[in-house]
Amino acid sequence: MTDTQAITDNKRWAGVYKLLDRNSRIHPEFEPQEEIKEFIKSCKILVIGAGGLGCEILKNLALSGFCDIHVIDMDTIDVSNLNRQFLFRRADVGKPKAVTAAEFVNRRVQGVEVTPHYCKIQDKDEDFYSEFALIICGLDSIEARRWINATLVGMRDEDNPDSIKPLIDGGKPTGFPLCTIANTPRLPEHCIEWASVIEWSNRHGDRKMDTDDPKDIQWLYETALTRAEQYNIQGVTYSLTQGVVKNIIPAIAATNAIVAASCCNEALKIATTCAKNLNNYMMYSGNDSVYTYTFEHQRKDDCPVCSNSSTRLDFSGDKTLEDFMEYLKEKPDVQLKKPSFSLAGKPLYMQAPKPLEEAMRPNLSKTLNELFSSGSELTITDSTLPFSLQTIVTFV
Amino acid sequence: MIMSSGIGQFTVVDQGTIAQNDIGSNFFLDFESLGKSKAERACELLGELNEDVQGHWIAEDIISVLNENPGFLAQFSTVIATDITRETAEKIAALCWLNGHSADTVADNNRPAGKKRTTFAWVKTVGLVGAVRIAVPEHTIVETHPENVADLRIDSPFPELAEFAKSFNFETEDGLEFGHIPYVAILLKYMEEWRNEHGGEIPSTYAAKNQLKANIRSGMRSPDDENFEEAIGSVLRSCQRTAVPNTIKELFNDPKCENLTAESGNFWILMRGVRNFVNDHSKSGGVLPLSGTIPDMKALTDSYVTLQSIYKAKAKRDVQEVSKIVESLLESLGLAAGSISLQEIESFCKYSAFLKVIRYRSLEEEYQQPKSKEIASWLSDPDSVFPHYVLLRASDSFYDDHGRYPGEGDNWEDDVDQLHANMTTLLQSWGIESDAVSKDLTYEICRYGNGSIHNTASFMGGVVSQEVIKLITHQYTPMDNTFIFDGVRSVSAVFAV
Repeated sequence: MTDTQAITDNKRWAGVYKLLDRNSRIHPEFEPQEEIKEFIKSCKILVIGAGGLGCEILKNLALSGFCDIHVIDMDTIDVSNLNRQFLFRRADVGKPKAVTAAEFVNRRVQGVEVTPHYCKIQDKDEDFYSEFALIICGLDSIEARRWINATLVGMRDEDNPDSIKPLIDGGKPTGFPLCTIANTPRLPEHCIEWASVIEWSNRHGDRKMDTDDPKDIQWLYETALTRAEQYNIQGVTYSLTQGVVKNIIPAIAATNAIVAASCCNEALKIATTCAKNLNNYMMYSGNDSVYTYTFEHQRKDDCPVCSNSSTRLDFSGDKTLEDFMEYLKEKPDVQLKKPSFSLAGKPLYMQAPKPLEEAMRPNLSKTLNELFSSGSELTITDSTLPFSLQTIVTFV
Repeated sequence: MIMSSGIGQFTVVDQGTIAQNDIGSNFFLDFESLGKSKAERACELLGELNEDVQGHWIAEDIISVLNENPGFLAQFSTVIATDITRETAEKIAALCWLNGHSADTVADNNRPAGKKRTTFAWVKTVGLVGAVRIAVPEHTIVETHPENVADLRIDSPFPELAEFAKSFNFETEDGLEFGHIPYVAILLKYMEEWRNEHGGEIPSTYAAKNQLKANIRSGMRSPDDENFEEAIGSVLRSCQRTAVPNTIKELFNDPKCENLTAESGNFWILMRGVRNFVNDHSKSGGVLPLSGTIPDMKALTDSYVTLQSIYKAKAKRDVQEVSKIVESLLESLGLAAGSISLQEIESFCKYSAFLKVIRYRSLEEEYQQPKSKEIASWLSDPDSVFPHYVLLRASDSFYDDHGRYPGEGDNWEDDVDQLHANMTTLLQSWGIESDAVSKDLTYEICRYGNGSIHNTASFMGGVVSQEVIKLITHQYTPMDNTFIFDGVRSVSAVFAV
């Protein structure tokens, strides 16, 4: 390689640099400055998840000129990932996704430094997250997405603009990762997908499944049920089986590319201010023609995450604490997993440690009337929330 | 994306050698690639993605390839063109169009060699803006994957269904049994009572439908009887008379359905088969074959499965009737018996209410016979992304005049007036006021200077892959015919230009 062949950012990022060097009449607030180019190279950006979306996001950021990229993922590579997660090869099976993805991008794109973190997002503290200018989330776990959202909201300090961390959240609403289905099923749906995606072709070869034939559904149902019993998973029913198998979606790779590209397009705009930002939600659907929908999600006045006020809930005082707990698990805007409750600092029910849980378990079958009075403020903690939820419960 | 979708082979045609900005925007070109052939290196690095896909490359200009071998494109099911001028696009599109006049329901990869239809897809990106254009004379879809294919025939139950509905005991003392009578049986019972009182007619007015709802509600014993709620929720749908949808009637009258030949695609032979079935009232009652699908509903597993089997059995009988007709059609056309598989007939019958045919406009039609009226209406919406279509077309005219795209050089602002003039000419040719597109947008396109931004390319790559997969597999409905994306606002729309 001679000097004349050396990679120069001006040539390599010619397309991006045109945006940064030139002013815009549809976005007159933007002022081209050399510092912006330096900023993209030096700012730290965090990618959460190195799966199908995460791989795409890492690639897009590296090719947008971001040089200091971090990626966090707790998973290792499974054979079933190789099809869609294009940074992984057969020889990588068993290695941490974050490490392998980082090595691949570092090798491919000169001057980019991707730093891997092979751990859970919950293992990192606020100091870690506060280092980043921008965070992009490419996870399909709703629980993890809620956790990071609440953590970032909790870090905000009105007097310190640097404490505000933009979060770009990309997701796919349907379909389960094949690796989950194959190795770590948790939900009844995972067992049903296993029966229809993996076991069906093992047993029936090329015969196409007829999702309207009760015999086929019955076979899937029984197969899924056997698997669910192995893993102690409750809730596989005939009708759920039917619902799941009729909703199988193709071409996840293309959807990943579209969602990831939209996330990174916004990242580049936020980091450089070269164009206005998406305000604030966009969805894509490719079933019937191509359809995207962009709109502004409004902030909820009583949002349990970003409002300062206590949440208010109405519930019957004649029902038990256990009923209340089930209600909180199912309520769409709360969706707790394993909540613990305390009242004025005194525990009512704790999920852990075990001796405490056992000692307090009798409270679960008591009615709320027996435990506290209407209008009391409960403190609720849960693994899905990095903070405690103050909730005023009124009996109705 | 296409690499992991199950394709067998691909060929990259590009005469270029790899420069720095190629590496900056294409992840499948690396640092070691500088100076090498783009086609060769991209093919090599893409090959790592999926060992089952065979890659080929030709390091030549597509126009010289076509000059040497005008039949070159006929070997491909799909041609995806990127980074080409309008002139080249028109040439490729015209050749693909010629190969495209034999469309049927067989997935393209099952077609015999030399009988491929070639779908043309043209993708371009300019800065934060992207466009995809698809053209193929005819695309037929059986499996459109509609949300709900249930066809319950509440207005006209077939004998087995009517009999099953009567097997439920509405007087039962057992609350569990009562709460699990499938809503289909509830609807059928109340619908029959209604008909007996109204001279055999089903409710047609809003008031009448509400009255039927009230009748059902009066039969509820407890507010927890979800099955009754389900029945009430389905009243409006169930009061629509089962009939052949207009979209399907139009297809029945299509010349391709009317005039079958030995060259007809399976889709049209099947269409004619279903048409003959519908016309034979003694077999069909004048309606389409039953889909055989029922929705989920509150019911005991046994009765649900029985109900499912009853619909399924009727669907199967309809398929057998259609199958007989199709066999005789095949015979009269001199085609081999059984050349349309039972599975294909089943699928066609099941989705017969949702069949679709898309006839694209060719590039030639787009340019020679512009849809001025529609264009004026697309431009009248202030939030539309259509101005970007106009600007991309104007950029092509700019290229014709100057041999380069607007804003490519350092004196990019000097191109704004010129591009705006190209656009005004274009708008005038459609009879539209020249101020229909803001000059600030013209300025923005010059700002992009035909630059390639990876995020835009990746987004558009995802969209075009998804559409091409739909076209190859004949699953789902592809877009017709131009997709425009504006990455500034992150909005998009599809226009049939």
